[in-house]
Amino acid sequence: MAVTGGTVDSFPSKQSGEAVRRDNPFRRTADAFRVHEELIWKAAARIAVLLPLAALAFAVTVLAVKAWPAIEVNGWKFLTGSAWNYGSSYGATVHTHGVAHPEGSDYGAWDIIAGTLQSSTIALIFAVPVSIGAAFALTERLPAWLSRPLGFAIEILAGIPSVVIGLWGLLTLGPFLSKHIYPIVADHMPNVPVLSYFRNPVGSGEGLLTAGVVLGLMIVPIVTSTTSDLFRQVPRLPKEGGEALGMTDWEVANRVTLPWVRGGIIGACVLGLGRALGETIAVAMIGGSALHLAGNIYSPFTTIAATILSQLDGALSDGTGFAVATLAELGLVLAIISVAVNLVARVIITRSSRLGGPVGAG
Amino acid sequence: MTRMHRALRVRKAAVIGATLGVALSTAVVAAGPAGASSIEKPPSATLIETGSTLLYPLFNLWVGGYGTTYPQVKIQTAGTGSGTGITDASNGTAQIGASDAYLAPSNLTATPTLENIPLAISAQLVAYNVPGVTGHINLTGKVLSEIYQGQITNWNDSAIAAANPNITLPNLPIVTLHRSDSSGDTFLFSTFLSKTDPSGWGTKIGYNTTIPWPSAPGALGEMGNSGMVSGCKATPGCVAYIGISYETQVLQAGLSYAALQNAKHQYVLPTSASISAEAASFIKKTPASGTISLIYGPAKTGYPIINYEYAIVNSQQSSSSTAKAIRSLLEWAVNSKDGNNPQYLSQVNFQPLPSKIVKASLKQIKKIK
Amino acid sequence: MSITTTGNALRQRKISEVMFRGFGILALLLVLVPAIWLIGSVVAHAAPHWKWSVLWSSLSVQDTGGLRDEILGTLILMLGVLIIAGSIGVLAGIHLSEFAKTRKNGKPSGGALRIASDVLSGFPSIVLGYVGYAALVVGLHWGYSLLSALIILSIMVIPYIAKTTESSLRQVPTAYREGAVALGMTAGYSLRKIVLKTALPGIVTGLLLAMAIASGETAPLIYTAGFSNTLPHGIVLTHAQFPYLTYAVFTFYNAPAAQAHYVAFDAALILVVLILLLLVISRIFVARTQRHTEGGAGRTPRRPPLGGGGTAAPTA
Repeated sequence: MAVTGGTVDSFPSKQSGEAVRRDNPFRRTADAFRVHEELIWKAAARIAVLLPLAALAFAVTVLAVKAWPAIEVNGWKFLTGSAWNYGSSYGATVHTHGVAHPEGSDYGAWDIIAGTLQSSTIALIFAVPVSIGAAFALTERLPAWLSRPLGFAIEILAGIPSVVIGLWGLLTLGPFLSKHIYPIVADHMPNVPVLSYFRNPVGSGEGLLTAGVVLGLMIVPIVTSTTSDLFRQVPRLPKEGGEALGMTDWEVANRVTLPWVRGGIIGACVLGLGRALGETIAVAMIGGSALHLAGNIYSPFTTIAATILSQLDGALSDGTGFAVATLAELGLVLAIISVAVNLVARVIITRSSRLGGPVGAG
Repeated sequence: MTRMHRALRVRKAAVIGATLGVALSTAVVAAGPAGASSIEKPPSATLIETGSTLLYPLFNLWVGGYGTTYPQVKIQTAGTGSGTGITDASNGTAQIGASDAYLAPSNLTATPTLENIPLAISAQLVAYNVPGVTGHINLTGKVLSEIYQGQITNWNDSAIAAANPNITLPNLPIVTLHRSDSSGDTFLFSTFLSKTDPSGWGTKIGYNTTIPWPSAPGALGEMGNSGMVSGCKATPGCVAYIGISYETQVLQAGLSYAALQNAKHQYVLPTSASISAEAASFIKKTPASGTISLIYGPAKTGYPIINYEYAIVNSQQSSSSTAKAIRSLLEWAVNSKDGNNPQYLSQVNFQPLPSKIVKASLKQIKKIK
Repeated sequence: MSITTTGNALRQRKISEVMFRGFGILALLLVLVPAIWLIGSVVAHAAPHWKWSVLWSSLSVQDTGGLRDEILGTLILMLGVLIIAGSIGVLAGIHLSEFAKTRKNGKPSGGALRIASDVLSGFPSIVLGYVGYAALVVGLHWGYSLLSALIILSIMVIPYIAKTTESSLRQVPTAYREGAVALGMTAGYSLRKIVLKTALPGIVTGLLLAMAIASGETAPLIYTAGFSNTLPHGIVLTHAQFPYLTYAVFTFYNAPAAQAHYVAFDAALILVVLILLLLVISRIFVARTQRHTEGGAGRTPRRPPLGGGGTAAPTA
């Protein structure tokens, strides 16, 4: 207690807390600590919260430094071209703009960027409805036999290593889908412009659709948690009023909860998108790694992160360092896309929801 | 001088000459097969090896064998890929890098003291999944080049049938498999295609650890040699290039592998005899640096896709005790009684180095300081 | 539209209510079924060749045998991440929740920090691994090392811990904080004794899940910790490669020997068991600490346990 000494001499008992504390040689230190404790916490917390920012700046700086030679040589056509040619690393080394690189090297990342966007879109299409439904199940009055196993399953999906999910997708889910589900869809698709993307051949299950579905599963936890937080911020009174008026659970959800958090849900989806963009190992194992655009929705494709993973070792064998610089440039592109996506998410969430409500609103 | 003196002197010279000759040859004979005495005894040290996933299982076997004789050297191994091996050896993160490909000029410009030291001989299979065909299909490099470019699309194509008069090939579309991750196997296969089809594949695509694969219908990319095996197993009509250490897996998956046409127009299967014959044909051509491609050699019975597995080592090491430990390990590895012994090599289907190449490797090893 | 209680409109409302419940059940199935299938398939692949000796014997030279060093390595990585990322992440969460100045419209500032935090948690792991390789392993000449691995893993996981800490702290009722002030506690004291203690279940859940996520990484570890068949002797922070389970899954799955495949599946099983253990521990912890609080276990909870919703995972 921070009651300072002063006029406590009149207290009769030497055993009283105040008297003991007054005689304690460490009292000054203890009091000083108690008063300044908040400052210590504040200082430590401020340093701690700046560290992620510093780490991000550090990572982006290292990437930019390593990527600079490639940026100079590849130019803007890096974003629009489709070739991925290391050039003859056993042949001559040429110099462009002062940067050494193997003769004939030519890099264009459009196919890779497109693959990234395609797989993330599929992941969102799968994950958003499932996550909203799961968030409802967790926060609204759906029965406990539904919500408890659901919460646990979501935590499992969040915690299971990506490489184990990749192995499962490769060995179990992919073959199952390509043998039982895809043929049903592919055989019945008419040959019209958009739907023809879903026609045969179905392939072995390693491809865009399988990878998109697995990515969706992996981002369900983050979207669900953000959405549940949003749902919990919705004030109880309007909801209870609705129930009192005889509205069903669905009507309460549809007319009270969802409108309240509509913008926030968009923000949560964009957060999930950011996560899906960066997923590496599962996509590399399941996506088939093609280095070109997918022919149809079941075909192999690649994403930026998967390309970096599968090509980094080969790039390291290029003694000029140009291939590695190009991969660093690819990583930088992804970092920029990621920053943009998160900026958009943050703006939407804080602008149109109460996520930043006063502390203790629970 | 009298004739007798001359005769005596000649006889003396002959005797001295003969004795010297006997003494020398005894010395040579004595020094030759005494393998253990030519391996330096290492100080206690820790060595880090990273690199080729193809050499990784063998290196682990070697570490076990070497460690029983010289437990004072602690060796940590990792299978990270040839490129990482070269880079790590170059920047000092690892003492030994393992690589399936020899060093490129650009690697040497970056680090001039890097050496690539041949350690063993590996080979590559071309596996396929063609149900109903018994025996081995004959394939030439040119045909494979056209298959991978999408110009030959069916197994019953006339070009393939021409090489296989005794086999009825079914009407089955070909699905080409290639490695999606950068790999020494891609390097070897594309080198083979470049050498057998220089005006086609050689000019248009070339060779490297990752190449811009032309679009053949239904072409699939797989990760790792295991991915190639499982992918080929799941795809009837597939053709895939796979490292020879996976031969057991290939056969267990129900796949078969092709007999490839060598430079003397013979169709050869990858057996230890054919691989050794091919390696022998390169003994004279291998330079002291060990930098040479062993693909499509002149041996009559040789299998055309083989390569040296290299240890990439910086000949300038940071400490002489580390250097001595590295020399000791590598000397043990290339010794035909130790590392290059069938008890280790047969587990991965590799072949031992010809003895002249062993000598060249030892010379390179001696340079590590 | 009025809330009708008769006729067609009533039937429509009933139908949409049933569909809503169905939607909830469908979401449950689409999440639960893959999760169970995943775990079942891991068990099914590992079970035929499982030997209990995998847990206490070392990898023999042909990549066969046991995973003792890898298990210990993963546990040590988890511990290291807990210490480094846990302390920094919790402190960062405290800042975001308690000390960040609120703007006039009641929303907290620190937008730039949050954006950086979110971007970092979505950063591809292979890129961070490469950054670690270029800057720490090669740049600082640490070589493949435990320390570079811990730093990179912590960078990946700190945003996640900060987020869960912040959201747990936000759920501490204002009444507690006001009561602490009314009793004359200093801010630091009330933070330590009241607020943090109340939020502890959520914080600990976040920490345990973060440990699970960090131990499941592969790509960044390959380029920062390398790999080794044996644990280094003693606490060696630099210049020694380090073993961990995910390498076994990723690399041995591709090895030629069939025995190596079994090791890969065993490693996957051990990883899944470790994660499940962490989740179960966190649930037990939450249940025990909430036993005596209002709205805790034993009564109908006002809202589901924190562990059920506070999940947001970085990329792997």
